[in-house]
Amino acid sequence: MAARSQVLSLYKQILRESEKFPSYNIKTYALRRTKDAFRANKSVKDAQTISSFMKKGNEDLNLIKRQVSSLLMYVSTEWLLFSRPI
Amino acid sequence: MASLVRHARGFRSLSKSFNASVARDVASRATGVALYRFHSTINCQKRPKSASLFSESQNNASLGVRFYSHDPLSMTTIRDRVLLVLKLYDKVDPEKLTLESHFMNDLGLDSLDQVEVVMAMEDEFGFEIPDRDAEKLMRPADIVQYIADKEDVTQ
Repeated sequence: MAARSQVLSLYKQILRESEKFPSYNIKTYALRRTKDAFRANKSVKDAQTISSFMKKGNEDLNLIKRQVSSLLMYVSTEWLLFSRPI
Repeated sequence: MASLVRHARGFRSLSKSFNASVARDVASRATGVALYRFHSTINCQKRPKSASLFSESQNNASLGVRFYSHDPLSMTTIRDRVLLVLKLYDKVDPEKLTLESHFMNDLGLDSLDQVEVVMAMEDEFGFEIPDRDAEKLMRPADIVQYIADKEDVTQ
């Protein structure tokens, strides 16, 4: 049985981790998906369901962490806009 | 806008190729929200008073502003910034918002919204609020008091 504070802590961790995505598209998708999913299931009362969601959430958090760290390895520091002669 | 450009100059010392006029160009195109976030994040960073940064700013004598300094916090500025962040949060009705309004009872937010509000405060003031403290912050006044305690502001 996951406590309420654990759910809120997972929510915050996923949001913070998603903010690190270097690509705007992926970042906004991850943030929106997280907010929608937590809101959609906020009235779930069944302990079994909650713990299975928590398990899924923790797996997704680890997935986001792996994705962010691998994407950050290949991020380009140069902006196309700045390389243009002015 | 002037302060934004001033902050943008801070980046210039980090990257020699960075052109200040480009920064102004980009900044003027940014959306209002992005602009606000950009400004508030930069503003929170306490910049090191290193000698190299200082000498760099001396080269631009026409704008003799120290870009690394930030305004010292007072109770009034904390209050204003907390209320501004809350006003910009889309689920808060600015009409109902006062310092003493309860997030859940008065403003109709849920616990997930409250987490997002606390995250916005972390971004605004540049330090992390632990979960244990965050769950007690239920009114704007609580947040103001908490930040004042952490930043050693008394008046």
